[in-house]
Amino acid sequence: MSGPRALPLLLAALWLVPTVPAEVDFQRQVQPILKKCLPCHGRDEHARQANLRLDSFEHATGKSGGHPGIAPGDAAHSRIVARVQDDKNPMPPGGERLSAAEIDVLKQWIDGGAKYQQHWAFEAPARPEPPTVSQPDWVRNPIDAFVLARLDKAHLKPSVEADRYTLARRLALDLTGLPPEPELVKAFVEDESPEAYEKVVDRLLNSPHYGERWARVWLDLARYADSQGYEKDGLRTIWPYRDWVIRALNANMPFDRFTVLQLAGDLLPVPTEDQLVATGFHRNTMTNTEGGTDDEEFRDAAVKDRVATTGQVWMGLTVGCAQCHSHKYDPISHQEFYQLYAFFNQTADADKPNDEPKLEVSDDVTTLIFRELPADERRETHIHERGSFLSPGALVEPATPAAFEPFPEEFPRNRLGLAKWLVSKRNPLTARVLVNRLWSRLWGIGIVETEEDFGTQGLPPSHPELLDWLATELMRLDWDMKGVLKTMVMSATYRQSSDVTAAMVESDPKNRLLARGARFRLSAEMVRDQALAASGLLNEELYGEPVMPWQPDGIWQVIYSPIRWTTSEGDERYRRSLYTLWRRTSPYPAMTTFDAPSGEVCTVRRISTNTPLQALVTLNDPTLMEAAQRLALAVADDDRERTARTMFERALVRPPTEAEVERVLALQAEARAELAGDRERALELVNFDRVLYTDERTATLVADVREAEEGRGPAAMWRYTTEDPGADWMQPRFKDSKWEKGRSAFGRMFRKESDKEDPNEKLSIATPWESDNLWLRTEIDVDEKELTDFRLYVRAFAHFEAFVNGVAAADSVQETGTHVDYKLTPQAAATVRPGKNVLAVRVFRSRPPESGQHVDIGLTAVRPPRLEAQGGDEVERAAWVVAANVLLNLDETLTRR
Amino acid sequence: MLDRFLQARHTTRRHFLEKCQMGLAGMFLAEAAGAAPKASAENPLAPKQPHFDPKAKAVIYLHMAGSPTQLELWDPKPTLQKYDGQDCPQELLEGKRFAFIKGVPKLLGTPYQFKKHGQAGTAVSELLPHFSTVVDEAAVIRSMTTDQFNHAPAQLYLHTGNPRLGYASMGSWATYGLGTENQDLPGFVVLVSGNSTPSAGKSLWGSGFLPSVYQGVQCRTQGDPVLYLSDPEGMSRTLRRKTLDAIGDLNRMQEERFGDPETEARIAQYELAYRMQIAAPEVMDISKESDATHTLYGTEPGQVSFANNCLLARRLVENGVRFVQLYHWGWDHHGSSRREDIRYDLPNKARSVDRPMTALIQDLKQRGLLDQTIIVWGGEFGRTPMRENRGGKYTEYVGRDHHPHAFTMWMAGGGIKPGLNYGATDDIGYYVVENKLTPRDLQATILHQLGLDPYKLSYAYQGLDQRLIGPTNEARVVKDLLA
Repeated sequence: MSGPRALPLLLAALWLVPTVPAEVDFQRQVQPILKKCLPCHGRDEHARQANLRLDSFEHATGKSGGHPGIAPGDAAHSRIVARVQDDKNPMPPGGERLSAAEIDVLKQWIDGGAKYQQHWAFEAPARPEPPTVSQPDWVRNPIDAFVLARLDKAHLKPSVEADRYTLARRLALDLTGLPPEPELVKAFVEDESPEAYEKVVDRLLNSPHYGERWARVWLDLARYADSQGYEKDGLRTIWPYRDWVIRALNANMPFDRFTVLQLAGDLLPVPTEDQLVATGFHRNTMTNTEGGTDDEEFRDAAVKDRVATTGQVWMGLTVGCAQCHSHKYDPISHQEFYQLYAFFNQTADADKPNDEPKLEVSDDVTTLIFRELPADERRETHIHERGSFLSPGALVEPATPAAFEPFPEEFPRNRLGLAKWLVSKRNPLTARVLVNRLWSRLWGIGIVETEEDFGTQGLPPSHPELLDWLATELMRLDWDMKGVLKTMVMSATYRQSSDVTAAMVESDPKNRLLARGARFRLSAEMVRDQALAASGLLNEELYGEPVMPWQPDGIWQVIYSPIRWTTSEGDERYRRSLYTLWRRTSPYPAMTTFDAPSGEVCTVRRISTNTPLQALVTLNDPTLMEAAQRLALAVADDDRERTARTMFERALVRPPTEAEVERVLALQAEARAELAGDRERALELVNFDRVLYTDERTATLVADVREAEEGRGPAAMWRYTTEDPGADWMQPRFKDSKWEKGRSAFGRMFRKESDKEDPNEKLSIATPWESDNLWLRTEIDVDEKELTDFRLYVRAFAHFEAFVNGVAAADSVQETGTHVDYKLTPQAAATVRPGKNVLAVRVFRSRPPESGQHVDIGLTAVRPPRLEAQGGDEVERAAWVVAANVLLNLDETLTRR
Repeated sequence: MLDRFLQARHTTRRHFLEKCQMGLAGMFLAEAAGAAPKASAENPLAPKQPHFDPKAKAVIYLHMAGSPTQLELWDPKPTLQKYDGQDCPQELLEGKRFAFIKGVPKLLGTPYQFKKHGQAGTAVSELLPHFSTVVDEAAVIRSMTTDQFNHAPAQLYLHTGNPRLGYASMGSWATYGLGTENQDLPGFVVLVSGNSTPSAGKSLWGSGFLPSVYQGVQCRTQGDPVLYLSDPEGMSRTLRRKTLDAIGDLNRMQEERFGDPETEARIAQYELAYRMQIAAPEVMDISKESDATHTLYGTEPGQVSFANNCLLARRLVENGVRFVQLYHWGWDHHGSSRREDIRYDLPNKARSVDRPMTALIQDLKQRGLLDQTIIVWGGEFGRTPMRENRGGKYTEYVGRDHHPHAFTMWMAGGGIKPGLNYGATDDIGYYVVENKLTPRDLQATILHQLGLDPYKLSYAYQGLDQRLIGPTNEARVVKDLLA
């Protein structure tokens, strides 16, 4: 049994802290102190005080002009040493004073010659030799040598290998985002061959779900969403780009090519359709369609976002900081930001509502792509003073920041050249940033914890040599992502048990030294996908249009927007979470509760939280409850103990202990006793899906034109008038026999030749209506008692207010080019009785007469569900549903361990 | 400067590392000695010490989404009245951008009467007869400005300090800085009325780069008061209790076996969720309020209304919620239809807020809560002194376009000076001519009243110490507004 030793604290202290540092370490000791000076004495010329710069040796010593703050080799005569010790007016101003220890470091460093060093991440990684270690037989590959050498220094030992159930689940979640199939677990547990583990790894890396899992990681960076963002946040079609990412990852496209296609696929000599679709990466910026917006303002915002995102994703740098002023800490000047901007400033997209340019990829499917402007339409790029596009400064040309390797002459000075420069093997950051990202998804925390910031403000790597070894290994393998992931998961470091003792937690709470396996909460998508998989509900189909799984009513309420969330039918609602329709202003709430980002901006790292709202989701979200119902119905049989065991294994991917079985059985017995007295509840639990989904039990009370168009019968006949009928026109008793008769839809079409998106398109008008106002009445025959969820469906290029039996039922001043549902007010719904009821609607023209006007109205309601015993005693089975709900809510279930 | 005290409580350890000059080795040592935050075991919403003695404990922010017209409600302009119907002077149009105005629009006087009310002699429109009676409790600020003229960016600027998406909302900053008093309820609650979420959507109450525990929780008056709060069909309360006991027992078995302290945190969150299932519907249920209270606010249980939300705001603050944010959509009176006409719709809209916001002041005062609660009222910008002529043409309807250069807000309670008339606009209400305020000034002032130093309250993200008031120190705590 090898486990980390819990050293007494004092002993640890002796080992970890050198009492007399031989030489001051610039990066670890001096730089953090200088950082406090740089806001006023750094690169940013606007913020600079006293003509003093401390960001380089030449500036600090006055050799490049300006005041000298430092006399190298002579701390006693260095101005900054005096200033930080000034009693009256010490530097830095306003904040905490430097400590005596900090001042000592500063003095030592200056006395030693004040040597500056390049920030570690800006030097190209050299391939380090794996070190020699205390337990060579533990080492499976070089990763382990680096990790163990660090543990040796701390006198810690690695943990034992995790058991096979744990490993199977860990690998499957990490590599495919789904729990392992029971058959894979069984085969692995029984496989005695030495290659057993590797076989599982290979199988998972080759699973099509691998691409889905890692696409989700990439889509966070790409700020992928299915809507345009900003006020209207209308839907857009860019999912072909999402599918391209999945396919590229499944095909293990090398990362350099993956990069070039996304940043500049359109600039290849003869781009294929796929290569154009790939450029959707940077078309995921938002489009503002709000009235009166300046398109140039938001085109500019999109270009800035592209520069900032590119810096974040490939270089791990906060380039965006330099859009208003030179970066205070990292070597990116204000001018250099706009030189990068110049690369992205020549695309044809311009914040237009129709999101052009687009590419038709199949019938009726067009996706957003990049197109470079023709030569005669190219834009000039200026520096924006204070970041404002309204204040253009000096003209700039495309160029990369001077602090990094030079831009090769032979590369074109466009996005294609920039992409090649990013994935050049001389770039110090790209490979490091990528391997760190992959590592972080497997360990829950990066070797550099601040994945988003490899600059001087970021945290230093926990294992610098390991990071560099992985980065050079990735490049040696020619950017083979599956290859480097396989190296990571094949390591002994990865295979360690994540079990901990209090002492281990105390000595290394975040497991930065890697003396144990990683343990972290599942991602938002995994929480849902795992429940769907465990219950057998998961629809494993890949690709395609986004879907709308169940979500609570009333989430999408965006002004001036007619689009509605309508639960997808059949199996579509059980697709992987990756395919859930993502609207930036109203993202799927169960997933945002688990820290899924909105997609408005690039998210490099999700910060995992633990809140009571998450408990409410996993306990109560009907999707999770339906998973519990299906899981219970799938495994329940006459043998209770067997049922408990099977259910446990399905949910947690390991056999339960005896105590766990007993506790599950005890709960099931309690639930049985409770439900025996309440068979109605038991029936609801075993029929949970039928209660939840209403599509199969929706009845049409008033037919709109869609009924006619889809061949289910004619649209409803109405009484109508265009003359003011007086105040009580909506009352049931009102006599409308003198009104005229006509079928829906009402209106007059008008279509501008120029406007293809005209909402007046494609509606069959049965009755002409051209006046300002229209009063409509129709009778509703209701033959059932227990109707619920009354919804008015209205398509109106007009405003309306509706009454049921004289009571206000719904109204809207939105013009809608499609049928939109409005829930009836509870007061109106309460008036509906079996027999005759009256629906009365007043319609107002909303536009000048030449713009056309129309209205079409339907009414639906939902019948009660048919509750059946579901193949066994409903009380027995319902109690298993309750037990399954528990198993899907355990900490272990929600944790990757 | 980074606020060391607050930062130390949160998940990022950047600051901690900066403080520690010995690098990683030193970091581990210090963690072992217990100096590092234990984010998992510690509740990030527990009440925290402010920077200095606070004047207010809570905020109720009444945002009038769409932006009400100050010229019909708060800021009478006799000169504008005089030139009603005449062409707008050219010098006022040069270099300006409008959402919908084209060409040379005409100046528009208001169809409404103003009178001076209270001891302070504050001018209030006839559209707000109730509020006129309590105006001495409020500071009316007629000199608000912004630099955004579209709804979404202007709302974001006001609430998150930045017109772009991805920044943390004021309520998130307040709960990040102060935690909250009642752990059975969210610390930052959002209530929406007016048939729509505001233009910028849920980003307005997002936590941005702050940890997501600080994001606003939208409570609803129809359906579940908090999403996923109610037990699923078929699950009774007693069964839910039994399932939670089983979850707790099984989690403890697993904790014993695997040793992870996170498990304990998870158990605690489940218990908290269970308590919230009881506490939230209770606090959100206004049906047991007295008839007098319902009359005061004009509330009807079961409705989605601004009145109900005002009463809920009082109940939430009374129950220890730190920040209650109301959004009431429907003030976008462009005059492009009857529903956007200042003659037809504005009176309804004003009626929908007048009594409730008045009641809120009275009710908080009589309960002794007004002193410690800041109420803020206003839109994201103002409306033009000119009549809007969308597409260069006038229709039969009358309205005003978006106007960033001047608008009116009021504040009350929480140490704000009562009976104050603050700031002024020019003769036609186009520009502020006295005591100009920016959204950043407003933000700084609100944080200050909560006992938070707006310059210090920060969070390290992307190489910057991010602050609500932005990276520069232009924001001022407006001392003139303080009692």
